[in-house]
Amino acid sequence: MGVKDLLNRLKQNKEDKSEAKSHYLTGKEVREIAKANAKEMRRLEKEKRRKVPQEEFMSQMKDDNNILEIEDLHSYFFTDQGVVKAVNGVTFSIPVNSTVGVVGESGCGKSVTAMSVMRLLQGPTGQIVSGSIRFKAYDYKRDQDGKFVPIYEKDENGEVVQEFDPKTKKNVPKISGYEKVEAVYDIAKMPIHEMYRLRGRQISMVFQEPMTSLNPVFTIGNQLDEVVLLHIPGSTKESAKKRSIEMLNMVGIAMPERVYASYPHELSGGMRQRVMIAMALACEPRLIIADEPTTALDVTIQAQVLDLFNDLKTKINGSILLITHDLGVIAEMADYVVVMYAGRIIEQGTALEIFRNPLHPYTQGLQKSKPTMKSSSDTLYNIPGNVPNPINMPNHCYFKERCRSCIDKCSGEYPCMHQVSPTHFVACHLYESKED
Amino acid sequence: MFKYILKRIGISILILLGVSVILYTLLRCMPTDYIEQQIIALAGSGVTVTEEYVQAMYRAYGLDGTIIQGYFRWLGNIARLEFGTSFINHRPVLQEIFSADKIGTSFFVALVSTIFEFMIAIPLGITAATHQYSFRDYLVTVLVLMGISLPSFFFGQMLKNIFAIKLGWFPVSGVKDPSLGAEASQAVILVDYLRHMFLPILTVVILSIGSRMRMTRTNMLEVLNADYIRTARAKGLNESKVIYKHAFRNTMIPLVTGLAGLIPSLFSGAMITESVFDLTGIGSYALNAMQVADIPVVMTYNMFLAVLSVTGVLLADLMYAVVDPRVKLA
Repeated sequence: MGVKDLLNRLKQNKEDKSEAKSHYLTGKEVREIAKANAKEMRRLEKEKRRKVPQEEFMSQMKDDNNILEIEDLHSYFFTDQGVVKAVNGVTFSIPVNSTVGVVGESGCGKSVTAMSVMRLLQGPTGQIVSGSIRFKAYDYKRDQDGKFVPIYEKDENGEVVQEFDPKTKKNVPKISGYEKVEAVYDIAKMPIHEMYRLRGRQISMVFQEPMTSLNPVFTIGNQLDEVVLLHIPGSTKESAKKRSIEMLNMVGIAMPERVYASYPHELSGGMRQRVMIAMALACEPRLIIADEPTTALDVTIQAQVLDLFNDLKTKINGSILLITHDLGVIAEMADYVVVMYAGRIIEQGTALEIFRNPLHPYTQGLQKSKPTMKSSSDTLYNIPGNVPNPINMPNHCYFKERCRSCIDKCSGEYPCMHQVSPTHFVACHLYESKED
Repeated sequence: MFKYILKRIGISILILLGVSVILYTLLRCMPTDYIEQQIIALAGSGVTVTEEYVQAMYRAYGLDGTIIQGYFRWLGNIARLEFGTSFINHRPVLQEIFSADKIGTSFFVALVSTIFEFMIAIPLGITAATHQYSFRDYLVTVLVLMGISLPSFFFGQMLKNIFAIKLGWFPVSGVKDPSLGAEASQAVILVDYLRHMFLPILTVVILSIGSRMRMTRTNMLEVLNADYIRTARAKGLNESKVIYKHAFRNTMIPLVTGLAGLIPSLFSGAMITESVFDLTGIGSYALNAMQVADIPVVMTYNMFLAVLSVTGVLLADLMYAVVDPRVKLA
């Protein structure tokens, strides 16, 4: 005790300080970062606003069974401290009529991936830098004049039943009232103004925060009608209202007429999330992105909302990209699971494979930290440490510092994806030998 | 709603009583009063003033007795709707203040400049917010901040020097060209009036745009980062619809309610600008009345503004309920 202790403590302090110092940027560095960022952001913003012929962003699916293929997606945030690689080379695809769950802890890039698909990253700091997002859209067919082609239903004698007359607007237009054609777009290359007709119509999104996701100054009806009026050609106020009430009914709202006329603050959180879901489904999208749809809801409502999603998937024949950090939700909902860590996919496979046979130490940790009724221990398992600083990531496995089964090889290059079964992939050095 | 308004009016009357007490006390506590100034002027011109004469003067003007006595006398008069006469020219105060050339001039300048202020500041604020940190944002911000930072007496003189004296486009001061005879047509008189009003209005507008624009920009930025704006974008609305429908309605809430708060400033007059351009507005008139301690004029003028302020606040609260569905008045 005494002098020696004090000296030790001083030494420790000094070391702490020098370590802390490395986090600070000098003025020169800050200026350099800002300059480089400004240049890159300006280039990407210009890219977003450019006018290009449709052929530029038309593409082909690699596998025709997929509705969405994300390939080597890089979405960065250009901050004053440096470039945050929030999504750093993500590749996965969503097959038609299936649910893909994306899991990972906060800040691992789940939401940014979803936002990239919608092209909703908050510019100019957030940008898709490279990669492609191929989406198979089911667009309205246009004739030579660029007009939509209505479908006329025929009765048994072959006579045309005027299901919807676009001229007199007498009959209510439906989404199914027009001929459609499949087209594959590369969303990452699309200019923003081209995105307007995909958002809400082909891909729609349900957000995490139902309490703040509805505009407080417009009625529910007004906000719901807007989607219908926007995306269904020839719709009128009356037809939009009819559709909105139909949607409110579909998501299980008891008094749709009353909810239609009320303001968001008059509804509970669960009701608002239902309204959000109704809004997302109004135009029968092919892909629904649900970004932690149940996080802000209490447990009883959570189950109802999840059931709703499952029902709707079959009803509208769409696919769901489900983002959550709740493994229970994933187990109930997902067909395929993608596990993300620090902007990269570390493991992916079918839900069964991920739950029965988790390979990556991080996935195993996630599984263990799930509370269960059976566990004998009093404390809940947690993965030690934190997600690494997203600026200047080292070129070795990002999970290395927190990993229990670390081997020598882990200090080497970042592991690439290894296939363990036709559908199961893992990015970990532990499983490399199996492949060779 | 009706009950709420009645309650608020009741509270307002109490507030006005408090304001009048403070105002009257302050006025009577001024280091000099009207009588003293008159006596000094008389003595200066060589007249011998007797003590009896001074007392008689104080009595005549109702300034004898204590402040409390004086206040209740004033209050009694007001209750009988007697606002008194101006000490200076002995004309009824109401006629003096509410004449076209005084409050009319001030009101015209204030109204037109407020309209222009809103019409210019709101679009500027919106572009600055939607192009945050861009060249446009910095340019707008720098220009309007220059506007705020200029003192009105300096900027008014500059405008006068450039546009009235050097270029001769506008008259230097006043409200009417003295060379216009009685035979001039209505249109000519109107054009002449507007030409006189141009520079004062320009001064007031440029000086006041800054704060309004900054307020719009801040509100807009806050709203644009809200979750419901992201929802609006996710619906597939184009950017202008997102900004001018979804964001604008929310940005307008503080602006519209601020509008009601502007009511008193419409009538209070711009004292310094008015004196720079020699307008006989209410502002310069009130300043003059203050300097000679013309108690009836100053009291009536200030109480008038107090009534307007209280009404403005009440209106602002009612406006909240109109523009924001979340606000319920009870």
